[in-house]
Amino acid sequence: MKHSFIDRYAALDSPLHLLDARTKLLGFTVLIGAVLLVPPGKPFAFFAYFFLTAALMGISQVPLTFVVARTLVILPFVLLAGLALPWRTGDGWTLFSTLLLRSTLSLILLILLTNTTRFAELLRGLRKLGCPRILAMNLGFLYRYLFVLTEEVMRMRQARDCRRVGSARPRAEMKLLGSMLGTLLLRSFERAERMYQAMLSRGSSGDFPILAPRRFSWRDPAFLAGLGLFIWMAEFLT
Amino acid sequence: MHIPDGFLSNRVAVAFDAISGVGILLSARRVKLEASARAVPMMGVLAAFVFAAQMLNFPVLGGTSGHLVGGALLAIILGPVPAVLTMATVIIAQALFLQDGGLIALGANIFNIGGVTAFSGYAVFRLLWRNDGGGRRLTVAAFAAGWISMVLSAAGCAVELAVSGAIPLRLGLPAMVGYHALIGIAEGGLTASVLAFLARVRPDLIETPRRVKLGAGEWAGAFIFVAIPLLILALAGSSSLPDPLQKLIEPGSAPSAKAGDAQALFSTLRLWEYSWEFAALVAVIFLVFLAGRIVHGGKAHR
Repeated sequence: MKHSFIDRYAALDSPLHLLDARTKLLGFTVLIGAVLLVPPGKPFAFFAYFFLTAALMGISQVPLTFVVARTLVILPFVLLAGLALPWRTGDGWTLFSTLLLRSTLSLILLILLTNTTRFAELLRGLRKLGCPRILAMNLGFLYRYLFVLTEEVMRMRQARDCRRVGSARPRAEMKLLGSMLGTLLLRSFERAERMYQAMLSRGSSGDFPILAPRRFSWRDPAFLAGLGLFIWMAEFLT
Repeated sequence: MHIPDGFLSNRVAVAFDAISGVGILLSARRVKLEASARAVPMMGVLAAFVFAAQMLNFPVLGGTSGHLVGGALLAIILGPVPAVLTMATVIIAQALFLQDGGLIALGANIFNIGGVTAFSGYAVFRLLWRNDGGGRRLTVAAFAAGWISMVLSAAGCAVELAVSGAIPLRLGLPAMVGYHALIGIAEGGLTASVLAFLARVRPDLIETPRRVKLGAGEWAGAFIFVAIPLLILALAGSSSLPDPLQKLIEPGSAPSAKAGDAQALFSTLRLWEYSWEFAALVAVIFLVFLAGRIVHGGKAHR
């Protein structure tokens, strides 16, 4: 079964991939914050950020088609949420387009962040930036077992579809789905139990160690400084 | 219900980031103090479970599909504090992997989908449930927990959007709550049928909630997820700090949308003043259902 769609390009080797995870977390968060702060009357600032995002995408070597496809999946929800805006009296359309631009830009930036950083490194970056250990471990377990459980779900779905035609009445459907989810839940429980035993017997400290740790290099301050300069220019010169 | 970046005003988004951040820190601390090391892989795998379970869609009306959100279910099985932590994990992962919900809006999303569902679902279940070995009582309590958790969560979302000035409360609240009152039927039904299944197969898991005593952590959580937001809402609504979104909205906007007046936000829902917009909304929802019906119908005949 094929489902490695989540962070398919995280293991590339571009300059953006080589940055420390902390740098990228901080940088992208600040950048998204800056995009969200652009007031509606400033189309040039949006142009500037759009240009920067495109440049980052180019540097990162993440294919355009992938980014566009991922954006198109989410965009309908954004549109639906903004549906009420154009009916505002006055500048409803300005507000609508502003929200749309802000959302789309931050969406693309978020896609770039997760597709330029391996998840294990992202976690270590989060951890070093003060994220509680339990949360970081939860995220680590989720990432590792997501694929296992997803396959389990796909097998169960296939088994169900093999054994029946069409769909049942809502009540029966609900009961069936409840049993499937319950089974999945029990299997997850038992898997967690086995994982705990395995961790215990191997003397786990709770953290996931990563080989070949990355350190700050000259690129990291350069990236952050460049970003800061750009945001300053976008804020004050446009 | 995941709010994307750009819809919440920055003040509201950051306020909720702070609330959820503090909530997560406290929950992490409490779980570390109270639970055994066993609980950590359990929460991680259950987070993966929720993530995977959300792939199991079911048709709701026409062609739109719903899926289990799971906040209430997790809270009933694990207790509310670990449930919040687990749901926060899921929501962070959804934002990072699927870009479902924004990065700055993460706090608000964790608050609505994690905190509110877990604590309200748990409270309702505890109020209604008596251990009758998976009988009617369990079904009713679980259904109510699932349904109410969805409705409250949607209401929270609508209020946040309204305070941000993105969608007026008179339009957003009925639309969000109405839609999620429908979706909530499925959430409640699924919560009930999963718990009924567990009561049949592993009754020991269902009995555990009885042993969980409401400690300081739960009260603190209830405080954080109920009282503080009300305070923040009042402050955000009444303060006159400048905000880009608000600045834009102030001149010539609809009377109810003035984010500067908390009173106006919570005044009676005079829908008829918005009849035009509401009709448009209903029409669009109807069209979505219709389109879904056609797509879904096509699938069924295949």
